[in-house]
Amino acid sequence: MKKSFTVLSFIAAVIIFATSCKKSSSVTPATPTYTVPATYNFSNANFADAKTRLGMYTEMSNVMKNALTGAISATTLKNMFTNTSAPFTTAAYNTSGIQIKDQGFSLYQTDVPSFIDSLVKVSQSTQPASRGVAGVGTSSANAATKYALTATGVNYAQVFNKATMGGLITYQIVTIMDAVANATIDNTTVVNGETALEHSWDMAFGYWGVPVDFPTNKTGAILWGSYSTQVDSGYHANKILMDAFLKGRAAISNKDKATITEQANIILQTMEKLTAAAVLQEVKEIKESINDNVARNSRLSECYGFVYSFKYNPKRKITDAQIDAILALFPKNFYDLTLTDVNNIRDAVAKQYDFVSVQDIL
Amino acid sequence: MKKLIYAALLTAAAFILIQSCSKSSVNNNGSTDGSSFDRKAMLTNLSANIIIPAYTAFQASTVSLDAAVTTFNTTPNATNLTALQAAFKAAYQQWQATSVFDFGPAEQINFRVNTNTYPTDVNQINTNISSGIYNKDLLANLAAKGLPAMDYLLFGTGADNTAVLAQFTTDGQAANRKSYLAILSAELKTNAATVLTAWNGAYKTTFINADGTDQGSSTGLLVNQLVYDYEILKNYEVGIPAGVQSMGTTFPTKVQAYYSQMSVQLALLHIQAIQNIYLGKSAQGDGSGLDDYLVKVNAKYNDGSLNDAIKNQFAVAIGKLQALTDPLSANITNNNAAVTAAYTELQKLTVLLKTDMTSSLGILITFGDNDGD
Repeated sequence: MKKSFTVLSFIAAVIIFATSCKKSSSVTPATPTYTVPATYNFSNANFADAKTRLGMYTEMSNVMKNALTGAISATTLKNMFTNTSAPFTTAAYNTSGIQIKDQGFSLYQTDVPSFIDSLVKVSQSTQPASRGVAGVGTSSANAATKYALTATGVNYAQVFNKATMGGLITYQIVTIMDAVANATIDNTTVVNGETALEHSWDMAFGYWGVPVDFPTNKTGAILWGSYSTQVDSGYHANKILMDAFLKGRAAISNKDKATITEQANIILQTMEKLTAAAVLQEVKEIKESINDNVARNSRLSECYGFVYSFKYNPKRKITDAQIDAILALFPKNFYDLTLTDVNNIRDAVAKQYDFVSVQDIL
Repeated sequence: MKKLIYAALLTAAAFILIQSCSKSSVNNNGSTDGSSFDRKAMLTNLSANIIIPAYTAFQASTVSLDAAVTTFNTTPNATNLTALQAAFKAAYQQWQATSVFDFGPAEQINFRVNTNTYPTDVNQINTNISSGIYNKDLLANLAAKGLPAMDYLLFGTGADNTAVLAQFTTDGQAANRKSYLAILSAELKTNAATVLTAWNGAYKTTFINADGTDQGSSTGLLVNQLVYDYEILKNYEVGIPAGVQSMGTTFPTKVQAYYSQMSVQLALLHIQAIQNIYLGKSAQGDGSGLDDYLVKVNAKYNDGSLNDAIKNQFAVAIGKLQALTDPLSANITNNNAAVTAAYTELQKLTVLLKTDMTSSLGILITFGDNDGD
């Protein structure tokens, strides 16, 4: 009898162990008293201000596209950056009382005006872009594809685009997530139907730039919302981020503190990895237009912009010295790029972020 | 009896343990179609009978080309120019059967774009000649080197051979031009030898042994590059010059081999080479190829077999290309409808190869559309 008991308890222990083993390899909801919805349709969600700023960015980007056909105005672009003197076509932006600049990382706030000035200068050139000559260049592969490049081959419209993804969006998301993880945002008092914590979380989601039923629906996904899809074959950022945003938001409304912190940390870390994945995605694109000087330089500008934008992430793991070492792999004159340079950039980023096995498919 | 019970219980316990934890160790060995197609045999046939012979022939053609450059540079006369032009044409023709394999050793040195970036950049060539400065590693020089740059130097620097010869004899830049020509042919020769040596060495085994269908597999690499190279044929050799990407505005000077005026001839060699890879066909006969693979997995297209659809479309596209005449640049100007008709049939084959074939074989296309952002 005694022996049988021992055996039975051994079996029981095995079953318990087996059950727990199974659970550890799937996802365990911490408190099963609420359900996580499949879409970001939380009844009180509000991220209108984030969407407004992304809309402001889009209008700035459209003005920058005019650099392909003639001189553009630095004043207009700088006014748009600070929402001064009703610069937007969308009237609601002008009266919104909000702006891009004051929500950006400090270095981004001072970098953007100089990016604008650089692009404006190129737009004033009447010559086609070539080594040593600023102007509009035409892709040798496709005559309809044109870029405004400096005399050293830099496309500042793209640098601005990537800077905004880092200096506004990533900066906002990681700052919010860091505050969430440190429990410094109030989740009790309801203002305009939301707690401060719910609203902050919603804003972070809004900055990501995806529809509420992403990734099933990808319509209108912009900036990081577009790039998280572009790199998804090698780094499944779409699911990681969407799951975390949904779980975290449901947890906030249900005061599930452990899950809130857990999901905030996932999002915080994913944003930096996503930036690295985007660098590698650009490396791939550089290689795909390797013998097209104009297109290649524009893509190198995108790549450079992403690497530089690491600096705008106050919660980054990569150090300033490491960022500078990668930036130093870019030639001073983009027309001097070699295949070795491209591979060095790829290898440095892939190694830093443990992407070596997927570096060529991102 | 008791012992038997213990044993049974222990077995059951062990079974539960194994079952519950086995999920984490599921692995995928790359066989997505469940078929028993012998990919290793296909890779063996393709490498031994098509790829290595192509590299061997191209390498030999670059040796002859470089030797002809040396002879011409030593004694620049009409006879040596004609001989050099013939050596150049032979190399360019052989390249059409060589360009596809831009993975492994070729990809390492960017062989395809180093050899055949066109349209060539005449301004960059002339800058390099007059300055006497040339860095082969600069990507900005890709459009100023390789076969297209030699195409310009040997056929495009004058209206006829007398005028071309003058550029290498009496012209003020003649000495620099000869040096540049020699640098370009030497670079081609070195690159061709590098890739051939690698294939004759360890890479052949690497290629044959990577017989899965995942992204790093040889079938994956080969199919990706076959489709990519085929799209270069479709777009760069035909479509872009004929204006299909520019709402009808044509670019006759953007054709391959614009100056030596053998664009149609090269495009035909190119598509036939791709067809042979698809069929596994070589001087050694009709060996194992992608056609056999599609048959083995019973790939369907509409009501028939995908293999038949692809073979038919190869024939249709080749027929349309055969209806064109060299110089293609003039054909585009005089009868662009025939050129765009060829493009249309080439495009249909793209869909079959890039979408239907890859999905039937479970191979992921890993290159982008390269159409800007």
